[in-house]
Amino acid sequence: MRSMMMKHTQSEQYQKLTQELRRGILVLAALSQLEDEKYGYSLISSLADKGLDIEQGTLYPLLRRLEDQGLLKSEWNTEGSRPRRYYQISSEGSQVLEDLTKEWRNLTDVMERLLAGSSS
Amino acid sequence: MNLLDRYIHEVGRFLPRKKRGSIQAELRSSVVDTLEDRFGPDPDQTQVEEVLLEFGKPRDVAASYHPRGQYLVGPGLFPLFQMVAWIVVAAVLGAQLLAFGVGVFIAGEPFSALETLAALVSSVPASLGWVLITFMILQYFDAKPYLDEETWDPKSLPEINPEERLKKGELILGLVGGILILVLVTLFPQWVGFVTTPGGAFYPNPIILEYLVLIQVSLLATILMNIYLLWKGNWTFLTRVIKLGLDAFGVVILGFLIQGHNAWLAVKGQSSFDAWISSIESNNWELVGMHAFRLAFVVAFVVTVIEIFVTIYRMARSKMTSDVSAKDFVLKVE
Repeated sequence: MRSMMMKHTQSEQYQKLTQELRRGILVLAALSQLEDEKYGYSLISSLADKGLDIEQGTLYPLLRRLEDQGLLKSEWNTEGSRPRRYYQISSEGSQVLEDLTKEWRNLTDVMERLLAGSSS
Repeated sequence: MNLLDRYIHEVGRFLPRKKRGSIQAELRSSVVDTLEDRFGPDPDQTQVEEVLLEFGKPRDVAASYHPRGQYLVGPGLFPLFQMVAWIVVAAVLGAQLLAFGVGVFIAGEPFSALETLAALVSSVPASLGWVLITFMILQYFDAKPYLDEETWDPKSLPEINPEERLKKGELILGLVGGILILVLVTLFPQWVGFVTTPGGAFYPNPIILEYLVLIQVSLLATILMNIYLLWKGNWTFLTRVIKLGLDAFGVVILGFLIQGHNAWLAVKGQSSFDAWISSIESNNWELVGMHAFRLAFVVAFVVTVIEIFVTIYRMARSKMTSDVSAKDFVLKVE
């Protein structure tokens, strides 16, 4: 009984850690897909097609925050079957994307070295 | 789609009014996109339920749109809130007990344990409520608990010096005591004096009443300084200078009070120590009380003067210690 509870706690802890790890990359992931304008669901599909599943409840508030920070711009499009809010990266967002990409590459290099060291 | 309408409406209840319409419209569009992509243009009730479950509870969905989180008092303000709450509770309880004590022993009011307990129980939540309301307002306006947070400079870090460390317990005790005395002299100035026996004759102290405003100003300034010290967490040169100023102000007031008592006793022809002894022997309680007050003020005067010298000594010592440790460091590096 006790070992079952411990396993349950460990798996919960693992989930939390994974969530934390993924949370850090969501901004970069979203910015990278918005060179062309997309509405929320199409962005989720685009990310999922490339292997990154993101919950809707996480993505929409994130897009709002990025827009408030001036990294995205948005507008309602009423031409389709229903009105949709389209997001696209702003010029400030492009600059941030470039910087974050460099940082990400540095980090992955460092992490590769660290992890290679720890597994040897 | 009745279920979707209800869902969107429910989310809207927890959203900030300013952005509600826009968020609701986008949420609706996203849910419909998901439904259409998965189940085609005409999903059934179970399929709608499945997608809504994925989106999450309305309250949680709305909460994710709040930029500052849904805090009454956020993590930035919480330590200060906790500290102020404890101080206020201690001061309110103390003031209530003091008021009952004064009422029963000086004014001779009847004592009721139930009434006392009821007043204590009702006053604590009320005062905590006011503290909470104040901090909710601070939180709403995104107040920063530390005024210099934006322009923080590593050089401003306090020295690691035991002299600079605050004795928090002592400070809180002094703060609560200061608030109690301020409450007493402000709300019940007519009870500032001395009483012969519980419920017996009461003599107000005319000299304290004469200098009441100065006493209140001094107490208030000391209380504010103590709150500031608790907030900052350690002594600095500036706070020591302020303390020196307040102590000097206190010495002046104590000087006035002692002089006032001397004059009062001189008028009665009873200012010497012998006169005090004979007033005790003759049960002249008014004279006994005035002599006792004068003695207490003389003691307070001496203690405050000593404190001034201790503060000056600590300021000088603190400067010397930091200079020495800086020199030691340079020597070690060389």
